[in-house]
Amino acid sequence: MKKILYYSMVLTTMAMGMASCVNDDTDMADIIAQYQVEPASIELDFSALVEKPDVPVTDEADEAYNDYVENTSWNQVIEIQYSGDMVTVTGSVPGVTVSNSGAHVVVMNMSGPVQFIVSGKTADGSLKFYGDKRFQVLLNNIDMTNPHGAAINNQGSKSMYVVLADGTTNHLQDGQEYTMVDDEDQKAALFSEGQIILSGKGRLNINATGRGGLRSDDYIRVRPGVNIHISSTALDGLRANDGIILDGGVINIETTGTGAKGVRSGGPMTVNGGRLIAISNGDTRITDENDLTDTTACAALYCDTLLTVNGGTLKLKATGDGGKGLNAKWDVNITGGQFIAVATGTRDIKKPKGVKIDRNLNVTGGYFYTYSRRSDPLDVSGTTQVAPGYKDYSVKPKVITIAY
Amino acid sequence: MARRERKQLIASLFLLLCTAFFPTSLIADDAGLIVSAGISHKFNKKLSTGFEFEFRSRNTFRTVDRMGLGADVSYKVLPWLKAGAGYNLLIYNNAEKLTFQDDGVSYNNWRPSYWAIRHRFNVMLTASHKIQRVEISLRERWQYTYRPSKIIDNFDFDEGMWEDYEEKGKGKNVLRSRLQVEWDIPRCKFDPFASVEFHTTRELDNTRFIVGVEHTLKKTHAFKAYYRYQVKNGEPNIHYLGMGYTFKF
Repeated sequence: MKKILYYSMVLTTMAMGMASCVNDDTDMADIIAQYQVEPASIELDFSALVEKPDVPVTDEADEAYNDYVENTSWNQVIEIQYSGDMVTVTGSVPGVTVSNSGAHVVVMNMSGPVQFIVSGKTADGSLKFYGDKRFQVLLNNIDMTNPHGAAINNQGSKSMYVVLADGTTNHLQDGQEYTMVDDEDQKAALFSEGQIILSGKGRLNINATGRGGLRSDDYIRVRPGVNIHISSTALDGLRANDGIILDGGVINIETTGTGAKGVRSGGPMTVNGGRLIAISNGDTRITDENDLTDTTACAALYCDTLLTVNGGTLKLKATGDGGKGLNAKWDVNITGGQFIAVATGTRDIKKPKGVKIDRNLNVTGGYFYTYSRRSDPLDVSGTTQVAPGYKDYSVKPKVITIAY
Repeated sequence: MARRERKQLIASLFLLLCTAFFPTSLIADDAGLIVSAGISHKFNKKLSTGFEFEFRSRNTFRTVDRMGLGADVSYKVLPWLKAGAGYNLLIYNNAEKLTFQDDGVSYNNWRPSYWAIRHRFNVMLTASHKIQRVEISLRERWQYTYRPSKIIDNFDFDEGMWEDYEEKGKGKNVLRSRLQVEWDIPRCKFDPFASVEFHTTRELDNTRFIVGVEHTLKKTHAFKAYYRYQVKNGEPNIHYLGMGYTFKF
């Protein structure tokens, strides 16, 4: 009997000892490590950028010829100086009338190219242009807030050259409520029906509280040397209906509005140089109309047509619910430069994705990085083509990198 | 039949039944061990009580599944009817849980295995009837198990981070119906038995098939060896080898 008890106890102890040794969990350590990746850091960066010399196009046949302010003679100059509710206008040009009501200035330009030098400070002022002649606005330390609408508003359809005078810091701010004029648009703190070409070596700060920051119903070109900071609590930071060309400069954009885009291009967008950092912190916008609920997610960059990155640095971050780093409705071609997109938002209403492309992604050069904390880092509806010759092509659950 | 031949027959029958219940899909199934040790005391012909420690393993005998301490009391209401009640403190090693997204491929959540206690109460009625040396019994047991709330680790693949997940306290009622046949072989101290047990919640949740033998020495030391095949919803089928010892006084 004692033997039976002894052997039973030994057997039981052995069985229990054997069982206590092994954990039957799946070994997930390596898999989890792939999901615990922190995204590339994207913060606003105002530091100066060493850029290639900005050589103006001199061939008149080149379609970009007129985008270079240097290619026009600016012999006709009018200075507009703001001081509180007062405005001092210096100079006159035949065919140009400048009128004001307090610090709200209206320019009727029926002349040729005119340079308007704008300076001073006003908390209740604006500058509006009429006329289908291209003109230059030289921002020379202007600090302007219009509580009732856009700070600068060009109703003409021709080019508005916005030149940031060297070493100056300029501030433009719109109001939360816009007072509208019949048959006129004003969609941003700095708005133009025509093209906006930004140049110069100064700084421009735009604070949008009612609508967008910087917007053109035509296209926008940004040239090397500028330093632009757009902060919008309302709509899109930088937007152009017919396209955006970034040749250079330092551009920092941050938006917090629901459904807002840091940058939105209705036409082809081409990045040739410079450094654009767009951070979208807004959540998905929900609208109810005719018993239908519509949702619009934020994006650091939203492009309706072709996006091409040939050079420069594009850093895009969306932190809100469903926010996308890049939301592209057409092809995206990366041939050079540095493209970094990060989505860290929640997925309560929409899925946050580093990059979402409705057509094709073609990567032939440069550096491509996309990260999404809570969804796919890369969602391409068409095909993804990565040309041979890359140094690194890494696809992980949260991060995809391609480097040449 | 000689005594030795009878023993051989019983052993052969036991092995045969074990083999029969081990299907070819054993590789896909799990296997475990159940070891129990206890004491029981009869106050009189009607009233008895018992205490038991149980150990159970899974993962082909390699991982602890649960341990438990139990106490019960039973009373013979009629010569053929016994009533009883019991309590068990169970310490479970809850198996890991891995879930996937709707696409069925992408990970969703992973909750590693964790230890947690459960309290189990039961009341039962056992009706038995003896036909010559074969005793047939039907046991109906209502069992209530309470799982206290516990904060456990959970890795959310969407979030890419570990988070605390509260498994909320929950109670579960189960009706266990067991039909058992025991064979008292003359001049043999090995008594074979077989049973089938159904666990029903809102639907049939668990079915157990058991065959085994009991051996009692000097009416004090009771040994039990058995094979159990368990088919449970949402879990792999599992083959158990069980052995138990009870000291009776």
